[in-house]
Amino acid sequence: MTDIREAVEHITADIDAVAVFSPSASEYERYADVDNRVDVLVIAQENAVSADQFIELPLDFEDVRDGIRFGVEGAMDRGYLDDGDTIACVVSMFSADLDSVTRLRVSESIRTGVYDLFVDSRAEADVIRDVLELVIELGKKGQKGEPVGALFVVGDAGKVMNKSRPLSYNPFEKSHVHVGDSIVNVMLKEFSRLDGAFVISDAGKIVSAYRYLEPSAEGIDIPKGLGTRHMAAAAITRDTNSVAVVLSESDGLVRAFKGGELVLELDPEAY
Amino acid sequence: MYGAVRSGDPVPTSPLQVGLDDVTIRDVMATLEDPLVLGALVVVAGLFLGLFVGRLVRRLLRRAGVPETVEGTSFERTVQGFGTSTVSLVSVFSMALVIGASILVALAIADVRYTAAFWRGVVIVFVPRLLVAIFVLAVGTVAGDKVELVVSDRLKGVKLPEITLLPTFAKYSIFYIAALIALGQVGVATSALLVLLSAYLFGVVFVGGLAFKDLLTSGAAGVYLLLSQPYSIGDEVAIDDQEGIVQELTVFVTRIESDDAEYIVPNRRVLETGVVRKRR
Repeated sequence: MTDIREAVEHITADIDAVAVFSPSASEYERYADVDNRVDVLVIAQENAVSADQFIELPLDFEDVRDGIRFGVEGAMDRGYLDDGDTIACVVSMFSADLDSVTRLRVSESIRTGVYDLFVDSRAEADVIRDVLELVIELGKKGQKGEPVGALFVVGDAGKVMNKSRPLSYNPFEKSHVHVGDSIVNVMLKEFSRLDGAFVISDAGKIVSAYRYLEPSAEGIDIPKGLGTRHMAAAAITRDTNSVAVVLSESDGLVRAFKGGELVLELDPEAY
Repeated sequence: MYGAVRSGDPVPTSPLQVGLDDVTIRDVMATLEDPLVLGALVVVAGLFLGLFVGRLVRRLLRRAGVPETVEGTSFERTVQGFGTSTVSLVSVFSMALVIGASILVALAIADVRYTAAFWRGVVIVFVPRLLVAIFVLAVGTVAGDKVELVVSDRLKGVKLPEITLLPTFAKYSIFYIAALIALGQVGVATSALLVLLSAYLFGVVFVGGLAFKDLLTSGAAGVYLLLSQPYSIGDEVAIDDQEGIVQELTVFVTRIESDDAEYIVPNRRVLETGVVRKRR
């Protein structure tokens, strides 16, 4: 008979750092003075516990793996973690409290660019988050119950406008609405039945709707089976410094593209 | 108590009293007519009214969300050190005001002669002013603290040690004005302090205007540009010798990007030199 603690000891043996996801103050206290040789990283939506090493999550990732990927990429980017480090991630899987520990070896291969998508994009991180939330909302509700598709191009709006042409009159001409304004959520759902892409500037201003994107799609490599909308999204992000967020009409998933590559895939139903 | 009291004058009989026991009713009326008794009645009524007003004020303040608003200000903290709160202080204050007024009325009814001159001078004129002054001071302290909190909260993103001076300045400016009003109420000569205030205000407005001149002109130009949109995001323009595609248009600046550089042009330059829109 072995004690359960010994049996699971291998998970936390010889780790370089422990990454705690969205801890409460008391939970953080518990990890803060574990061991001097083990760094404590806090990965949460806000630094409520004033941790020294902190990575801000832009949204509450429903898939734990996405959250961990984001956190680890951020930590590598900030220099908190290096290639080859072994860490333990303390996360909440089912309840609101921390309930799971997972062991992970940090390597460059874990990098999907999801941290890069938010932090190193031309557009502000808040704007990208707002657009993602909007698209998730759109995917959840649909247009009168019917699944809808949508394409948002965020950032580098000047270039995007020059690489696209209007399909019809721009309903956002001379308006000053920004994503994240509460009115927009209602408005965009109406507009989402319109064809074409939405163009959003670095600071979140909705520049145009009804845009037909005309990037060159040569050499774009996205998973097979995705349609023209995804192809256009991937291509425009390669030709400009923008980020594209797509809601698929056929499978209902939200995908984000940057630099011509798929970096994030979310299921709106899970949020 | 207070010197000569008028004894009851004969009460005129009303037609209603005919047939009733004249003596008892006349007695009651006579007692009521007695200024001392009437004064005491007014005081009692004032007491109840005061209690009611205190309750009402407390409830209104609670309803208006005052406890949440003043939370964290140093006035509230000081007051809580004495085991009370801003809301209960204000309600007790208004209660005292009503009761005090009723006592005044009672004194007037009781016709207190000897002390009348003194009371008229002190109570009628000075006490309300003093109360107003205290009230102004309390409101000023709370408002100053609140402004400090709000301003420092706004500046939280700016990581600059010297920036903490700004909220403190705002706080003490409000304290100063509150103290001025309070002193003016009580009747202390405040002209010297007023001169100081006007010098300070002049400094803030003049120096501030000088410092923010460019920002203000850019802002005014930006409002025009945002409203009329002579050019919009995606247009190719040239402002002065800076050419490129418009990437962003805010109140203060226009961001123009060419292939190798991004220009951040203050909006006043757009109006000063004009804009060239490239035809495509």
